[in-house]
Amino acid sequence: MFLLRRRRRALPPAPLPWRRRARSDGTAPRWDVVVIGGGHAGTEAAAAAARSGVRTLLVTHKADTIGQMSCNPSFGGIGKGHLMREVDALDGLCARICDQSGVHYKVLNRCKGPAVWGLRAQIDRKLYKENMQKEILNTPLLTVHEASVEDLLLMEPEPDRPGKCQVSGVILGDGSRVHAGSVILTTGTFLRGVVFIGLKMHPAGRLGDQPSIGLAQTLEKLGFAVGRLKTGTPPRLAKDSIDFSVLERHMADNPPVPFSFLSEAVWIKPEDQLSCYRTLTNAKVEQIIHDSLHLNNHVRETTRGPRALVVMAIPCSRYCPSLESKVLRFPNRIHQLWLEPEGLDSNVIYPQGMSMTLPPELQEQVIACIRGLEKAKMMQPGYGVQYDFLDPRQLSASLESRLVQRLFFAGQINGTTGYEEAAAQGVIAGINAGLRVSGKPPFIISRTEGYIGVLIDDLTTLGTNEPYRMFTSRVEFRMSLRPDNADSRLTLRGFEEAGCVSQQRYAQASQMKAAIEEAIAVLKSLQFTATKWSRLVPEAPISTNRSSLASALDILQYPEVTMELLARAIPEPLRKFAECRELAERLKIEAVYEWHVASQQQEIEEVRRDEALQLPEDLDYFAIDASLSQEVREKLDSNRPQTIGAVSRIPGITPAAIVNLLRFVKTNRQRTEHIEHSRIGRPLPEGNTLGKSKFQNSSLSCAS
Amino acid sequence: MWPGTWRKLLAALNPVSGAALRAVKRLHCPAGKRDTIFALSSGHGKCGVAVVRTSGPASGAALRSLTGQQELPRPRAVALRRIHDPSSAETLDRGLVIWFPGPHSFTGEDCSELHVHGGPAVVGGVLQALGRLPGLRPADPGEFTKRAFQNGKLGLTEVEGLGDLIHAETEAQRRQALRQMEGELGQLYQRWSEELTKALAHVEAFIDFSEDDNLEEGVLAQVDAAVRTLEEEVSGHLQDGRRGERLRGGVHVVIAGPTNAGKSSLLNLLCQRPAAIVSPIAGTTRDVVESALNIGGYPVVLSDTAGLRETQDVVEREGVSRARERLQQADVVLAVLAAVDVDPEPRCFADALRAVLPPGPPAQRAPCILVLNKADLLEEGRGGALLGACGEGALPPTCLLSCKTGEGVDSLLSLLGTQLEQMCGDPLAGSPSLTQARHRLHLTSCLCSLGRYHGYKSLDLVLAAEELRLARRHLGKITGRVSAEEILDIVFRDFCVGK
Repeated sequence: MFLLRRRRRALPPAPLPWRRRARSDGTAPRWDVVVIGGGHAGTEAAAAAARSGVRTLLVTHKADTIGQMSCNPSFGGIGKGHLMREVDALDGLCARICDQSGVHYKVLNRCKGPAVWGLRAQIDRKLYKENMQKEILNTPLLTVHEASVEDLLLMEPEPDRPGKCQVSGVILGDGSRVHAGSVILTTGTFLRGVVFIGLKMHPAGRLGDQPSIGLAQTLEKLGFAVGRLKTGTPPRLAKDSIDFSVLERHMADNPPVPFSFLSEAVWIKPEDQLSCYRTLTNAKVEQIIHDSLHLNNHVRETTRGPRALVVMAIPCSRYCPSLESKVLRFPNRIHQLWLEPEGLDSNVIYPQGMSMTLPPELQEQVIACIRGLEKAKMMQPGYGVQYDFLDPRQLSASLESRLVQRLFFAGQINGTTGYEEAAAQGVIAGINAGLRVSGKPPFIISRTEGYIGVLIDDLTTLGTNEPYRMFTSRVEFRMSLRPDNADSRLTLRGFEEAGCVSQQRYAQASQMKAAIEEAIAVLKSLQFTATKWSRLVPEAPISTNRSSLASALDILQYPEVTMELLARAIPEPLRKFAECRELAERLKIEAVYEWHVASQQQEIEEVRRDEALQLPEDLDYFAIDASLSQEVREKLDSNRPQTIGAVSRIPGITPAAIVNLLRFVKTNRQRTEHIEHSRIGRPLPEGNTLGKSKFQNSSLSCAS
Repeated sequence: MWPGTWRKLLAALNPVSGAALRAVKRLHCPAGKRDTIFALSSGHGKCGVAVVRTSGPASGAALRSLTGQQELPRPRAVALRRIHDPSSAETLDRGLVIWFPGPHSFTGEDCSELHVHGGPAVVGGVLQALGRLPGLRPADPGEFTKRAFQNGKLGLTEVEGLGDLIHAETEAQRRQALRQMEGELGQLYQRWSEELTKALAHVEAFIDFSEDDNLEEGVLAQVDAAVRTLEEEVSGHLQDGRRGERLRGGVHVVIAGPTNAGKSSLLNLLCQRPAAIVSPIAGTTRDVVESALNIGGYPVVLSDTAGLRETQDVVEREGVSRARERLQQADVVLAVLAAVDVDPEPRCFADALRAVLPPGPPAQRAPCILVLNKADLLEEGRGGALLGACGEGALPPTCLLSCKTGEGVDSLLSLLGTQLEQMCGDPLAGSPSLTQARHRLHLTSCLCSLGRYHGYKSLDLVLAAEELRLARRHLGKITGRVSAEEILDIVFRDFCVGK
């Protein structure tokens, strides 16, 4: 076994329950958590598990590909930036690495309200990879091992938990075994991945990489339901062959806004940032695509060629993945193409919006008829990938599979697209794989607490039939789940419940939260008449007609008013809150949304109450004695909701079905209580004593 | 971290007038821990007493404002109170009220019960009055049960069967909604729903994609225009007086027939007072005469109409046209014929009826009862022949009576009672005003949110979008929920987004 680096903390972690079990294979190395895959989900998962204090092994084909940005050279955006802030709030890596590797930082949606500001940056691929590898190799308790994983080691399941077996380790390409308390699969598009370029197709996870076949077979044998998705990537262009002088230039922000709560500033000097350029498609592009489609239809009819082009071009995803689908679905239109730099010293330009699967010579034709790209050199053609993904409804909200105990899935394998979506799942899978090994309850983020919660709830409750991507429109409580307050929402919980947050970050987030609460209390307590306010803050168009008193927080809602302005008007006691710029800015945002967040609080409570009503994991919906229609039973069975809240989000579930389930939950709870009573006086077995332990912990008795 | 972007944001925002901000702020209500729900707890249809129940922290305040008394009744003791509409101070009813402070209540929260008279007018009025109070909203199906459950108030046996009850209720609602959706009103609501969903989807698209992808110019301006149109239509709909009248009405029973058949006499007989002028002169009644009464416990608005005949008299002609209009709106038609004027032949009855009833296939017509008046003038034995003839053809239920002697009125009342029971006992057709009261509440809330959208638009697009989301949710209580996925469907249908 080739261990690249292995570090231990001064104190070894406490002995864990699973290690006490007698193992027949005493020589094989043992780990608490084994992560398969070193992409965005894998790195976050491995680092999160290690941060929470368990010994973690990351297994990857090629250690050199750790932290590789396989597709676009950018991170963040609207919704995705929110995910990154939340990953950062849980002490995840990608936000910090981006602050050390970006070449063009830009906040999107600046004029649309701070709840939807989208932090985004063009990232230097090489720097990102270097920085990520440095981070991973320097993470205590985390070890990297270069190997392929061929199979899973399985054993009898733990009783009283759902699952036909449990994973106890992995078998590597050389046949050696590695034991593990939990295993996380983050193999991206490698499950039966097929790459399409023009009429050619060959199996691969990404261009130049091998697909995982052994694992795919094992998962299939275990009975995992899989679906097939497709994605694509554009051709790459040589920077020095593009005429930028005729194109629209887009400058980066000055000063750049960092992603991480811990970063004071990003690494690059504002003036050293690179620019992006915009160009447009035209009728000629459309013509070429149409002509070649015809050709390919013909090819398919004569059954000679693979279905590559046709299959890739017919859009099954609503979100247009390729230039072909854009042209087909929205004909006679001009489409935008963004020319994005891939790095400071890179000659590669990534033409975002130009994903194509045409034969390379046709791709070159398309490129040559676009303004600014007339002489552009194609360094690598665009291609499409088809791959298997695992139906995420087979996972619980902790991302552990219900079929195989202790086996977690994260990232693209769960049907998502995007680095940020992968990273978000990685953090949650990593934390929970660690907690599972330590016998602690899972760490779940609710829809009311974060975009991560929405992402995982959508996936595990509703599943997906296209690559799932984060949008702010998916989020019910968008006004409270903002990028500015991700630390208040998650850092404290991450520290206290998951142990995945450093002391330093915890202290910083706690201080900030306390300061905001104090400041809001002070702002609310400062109440004057409108006449007095308009004298104090003449900049704001305060109507003097209003008779009631207004608080300083009310006044701060005016677009014209800032904390600085208020502090100038009322230095005591406001000056100290305006001095720290970050605090002042966050207070302003709090003021804008304060009323609305407060009035939405009822609804949030309602969702939380419903989510506190948990359903047993192993419920057999076809067998339970509740008055449910066959249709409802089928829906419940395929979606496997974990809470009454999740039930209510499944389309087609009636209120009556929900009440009948409530009744069932109540019966069940009484039953488990009965069992519990009958066990009193006996020593309880270690770990999870009762099959329905979750059920007992659930706050069915929460209200009252 | 989160460094200063406010200055730029401020520059980008339009200055907003104080009035706009005030308008926005006035509509806030301070958030309690949980909202208060209300619903008609007794069943639909026939009932002497209806029970309206509230649950939640604002129950006490609601009871105070409806009874107009600062003092709440003694807990769990029945008190007789006058019940007002707080917004108009109009008395709705005198009824029994009970105050159940939490946690000793059905749901564990503060609850109140109002026992009022069972007519749709009263119940509708009480529900509307409750809906206008801050912090109150109509309960969703099963919500009382859910709260009781969450608060540990329900035993197993109590929950048993409740699911079925709710199922029956929601199934009826679904069928009712379906029935309404097929009608003109349903089509209107459906169209609003589609337009609002599209407006919302376009705002969401603007938030999620306008920076990266090329959305067409003027997306937001189109949304503004769509929202304004919607506001005008909804508020026009809510102000529609005629519908409001019907809402307070009850079952509309219309007396119709040729002149001098004794229609006004029948009205007077049923009302037991001389509500309409009667005379032997044909064409005495020229306008619609209405009277509210209670038949077999069902609220009925009885209308006497002008006798149907061709006439040169301008006033009478208007009366006849009003009569025909009223017939179109009738829930039940009492077709009155003079027994002496018809031959005991099914064909003759059919012809006479056709002259009275509005045109159209029988299935779409309001149910009808054939009343043969002036039985006292018939020769001996002819009455039996007439009734026998009625039994032969496909004729409506018939009764033979005499307004003069009062003979046969009981059989009319029993026929009418059966008809009303059939209509009101069936939730599909019964208590139409209750559904309408609910619609009214949701449409009003929807309209408020649409209004706030404009106020927030220039302040913060997220807040504006939130109002559209709220408006959509209110409308969705009538037309059905729309999921985030369906919104995304519209986004991806209407815009070319994606990389």
